[in-house]
Amino acid sequence: MTSTVSRASILKALLKKELLAYSRDKLYLFLTILSLVFMVGIFWVLPDSVEETISLGVSPPVQSIVDDATDTLRAMGATDEQLAAIDATDLTQTEEGLEFVEFEDEDQMSAVIKGTLELWRTESGEQIFRDPEGDEDKPKDADRIKLDIGIAFPDDFIVDVAAKADDITVNVYSDAGVPEEIQGAMRSFVREAAYQFAGQELPVDMPDENAIVLGQDRAGDQVSLRDKLRPMLAFMVLLIESMAMASLISVEVLQRTATAVLVTPVKLVDFLTAKTIFGTGLALSQGLIVLVLVGAFTPENWAILFVTMLIGSVMFTGEAMIVGAAGKDFLGQLFYSMLFTVPLIIPTFSVLFPGSAAVWVQVIPTYPVIDTLVGVTVYGESWAESWQSLLYATAWLVVLYGAGLFTLKRKVETL
Amino acid sequence: MSLVRIWKVLRKDLALGPRSPFFLYAVILPFAFTLIFQVAFGSLFEPAPRLGIVDDGSSEITAAIKDMEGIELTLLDDADELRDQVEANDLDAGLVLPTGIDEAIRNGDQPPLQFFIGGESYASNRIILSVTAIDVVREVQGDVAPVNVDIVNFGEAGLPISVRLVPLIMFYALVMAGVFTPGSSIVEEKENGTLMAMLVSPVKSSEVLVAKWMLGMILATIMSIVTLLLNSAMGSRPFEVLVVVIMAAALTSVIGLLVGVVSKDSTMLFGLIKGTGILLFAPVVFYIFPEWPQWIAKIFPLYWIIEPIWQVSVMGESITTVWFEMGIALAITVALLPIVIMLAKRMQSQMAAG
Repeated sequence: MTSTVSRASILKALLKKELLAYSRDKLYLFLTILSLVFMVGIFWVLPDSVEETISLGVSPPVQSIVDDATDTLRAMGATDEQLAAIDATDLTQTEEGLEFVEFEDEDQMSAVIKGTLELWRTESGEQIFRDPEGDEDKPKDADRIKLDIGIAFPDDFIVDVAAKADDITVNVYSDAGVPEEIQGAMRSFVREAAYQFAGQELPVDMPDENAIVLGQDRAGDQVSLRDKLRPMLAFMVLLIESMAMASLISVEVLQRTATAVLVTPVKLVDFLTAKTIFGTGLALSQGLIVLVLVGAFTPENWAILFVTMLIGSVMFTGEAMIVGAAGKDFLGQLFYSMLFTVPLIIPTFSVLFPGSAAVWVQVIPTYPVIDTLVGVTVYGESWAESWQSLLYATAWLVVLYGAGLFTLKRKVETL
Repeated sequence: MSLVRIWKVLRKDLALGPRSPFFLYAVILPFAFTLIFQVAFGSLFEPAPRLGIVDDGSSEITAAIKDMEGIELTLLDDADELRDQVEANDLDAGLVLPTGIDEAIRNGDQPPLQFFIGGESYASNRIILSVTAIDVVREVQGDVAPVNVDIVNFGEAGLPISVRLVPLIMFYALVMAGVFTPGSSIVEEKENGTLMAMLVSPVKSSEVLVAKWMLGMILATIMSIVTLLLNSAMGSRPFEVLVVVIMAAALTSVIGLLVGVVSKDSTMLFGLIKGTGILLFAPVVFYIFPEWPQWIAKIFPLYWIIEPIWQVSVMGESITTVWFEMGIALAITVALLPIVIMLAKRMQSQMAAG
C-alpha cells in the first residue's frame, strides 16, 4: 500500500501549489503587471540627458564691445600688440559650462530674464523675440531659450577698464531663483574679465585643465536620471516581490495551511526549498524582465547582472521568510515588514546623489546589490571591478537567507 | 438616511479609533516624517558645488571661501585624500594651499595653484568653483577690482528644500488618515463581524459608509493642518487653506472607502494600498525635483489635491487660482462615489450570503 514519492515530485507539486496560489490572487497579479508597466513607462519618459550648462546672457555682443574699443584705444595710442591682446580675450571662448546668448540691447536681455519677453532661436541661430502676453503665435522650428542670468557691459567697458577709470559698473541681471553661488560666480567672472582687459595677469600659475581633471571626464556626458533609474527599478522590483512573497507565507502561517501540508509526505525541508525556489524565481524573473525592458543588458554585462539579481532575489526571499513568519497577526507582520523594508530601501536612494554613500549606508545588506547594479549598468563595470561587491553581497545573502530559513522553520515547527 | 445613526456610528469610530494601529500611524507619522525629512534628509537634496581644501598654513583663501554662501566646503588634512575624494565624486573640486601661498601671491611670485576637478562634476560646478577660486586669489593679492558689479534680482528666490518637502509629508498625512483609516476601519469591522452586527440593526450600509468617510475626512483634515503648522506652511490665508485641505481629505477618504469595501481582509487591504501606493505617491516627487517634466505629475489623481494645497498654503496664492485643479479633484471624488456604492452593495450581498 505504500509507494515512495520522490523529492523532485514533491517539490514540483509544492511549486505548482505556490504558483496556483499566486495566480489565484488576481489582485496581486494585476498589481504586479501594473507595477511593471508603470515602472517601465516612467523610465522611458524621464530625461536621458543632464543639463549642466549655465546659460548666460551678454549685452552688447562681445565682438561689438571689442570692435568699439579698438578704434578708441588706437586713438588713445594703444600699440598693435596691445590691441591684438584685447582682441584675443574672447569672453565667449571660455571653458565648458557656460553658454553665451548675446543681445544687442540691455533692456531686451533684462526683459527675457524677467520673463516679460520670450526669446526663441532657430536652427540657423536667428533670434526671435515674442511677447508672451501678445497675440503672436509661437515661432515654428525654433527652440525657446530660457535665460536666468545675464551680464550688461557698459558701452565703453574695455576702454574704461584699460584707462583705469573709476566707478565702472557692470549690471548682472538675475532671476532671484538663481542660486547664490551662481550669482557669485558671475560677479567673479566679470571681475576676472576686467582684470584680463586691464592686462593684469593671474597672480597664480593655473594648471592646464586636462591635467587637473581626476577620473573619467564626463563633462557633456553625465549620467542622466534615466540611467540612474535603471538599477533602482530592478532593485525596487525585488523589494516589491519580497512583499508579495511575505504575504503568501504569512497567509500560510496564519491559516496554518503549512501544518496541513506537512502531514502529507512533504517534509519541512521540501516546504522551505519550495518557498526558496518560488520566492527567488518570482523576484528574479520580474527583475530580469524589467532590466530587459529598460535596455540594461549588453553582451558584456548580462552574466554579472544575472548573478547580481540572483543574489538579490535570494536575499529578499530570506527577508520575506522572516517577515512572513514573524508577528502573531496581520498587524504584527505589517510592523515587521515596515521594520525591514525601510532600512533595506535606503541604499537605493544613494544612487540619486553624487559621490560615495555614507559608511552607515554601506553596511546595510542591500547596499552591495545596488552598488553592483549601478556599477554595471551605469559605469559599465566588469567582473574585475564587481567581484568584491558581489562577495560582500553573498556574505549578507548567507546571513539574511540563513536567518529567514531559521525563522520560518521555527515558526512552522511551533504551529 | 438618518443623520442621527450616522453620528452614532461616527461617534463610536472616534471613540474606538485610537485603539487601532492605523489610527495611531495616522497621528504619529506626520510628526515622525517632519522630523526625518526636514532634519535628517533635508541637506541631501541641495546640490551645492562641493569644494575640498587642504590648507597647510591658515590661508586667507580658505577663510574667504568659508564665508561664502552656496559652496559646500570640506577641510581635509591630506592632499592624497583630497585627490581620492575628488576622483570618487565625493567632491566637485579640490584645492591644496601650501604654507606661505598668501605671501607668495602678494609678492607676485605666481605660485602654482594645485586645483583638481572631478571628472564627474558638472561643467557648471567647475565654472563656479574655478572662477570663485580665482576671484578669491585676486582678493588675497590685494588689488582693487577694476569694476563694480551690481546684481539686480527679478522675482522671488527659489524655494528651499525644507519647503519642497512639504508635499511629501502632506501626502503621508492625507494617505494615512484619509485612505488607511476609513479603509482599515471597514476591513476590521468585516473581520471582527461587527459590520454584519451593525447591518442587522436599523443602520444602513450607506450610513456606515458616510460615517467612515467622515471619519477619514475629519482625521485627514486635522492631520493635514497639523502637518502644515509643523512645517510652518500655513501661509497667510488659513480659511482658504482649510477649504483646499477639506477637498483633499474628501478625495482621499473616498479612496479609503473604495479600498475598504473592495478588501476582503487586512492582507488584501494592505496589498492593495502597497500596490497602488506608487500611483498615489508619484506626483509628490515632482515637487522635490522641480526640474523634472512637471506635466507627468498631472497624470496621477492625487496631483489635483496636492497642487491646490501647495499653491494656497505654501505659495500663498488665492484659492481662485486653483479652481480648475479643485474642479478636477471634485470630479474624481464624485466619479468614485457610484463605484463605492456599487461595490458596497456587492459587499453587503456577499456578507449576507455568508
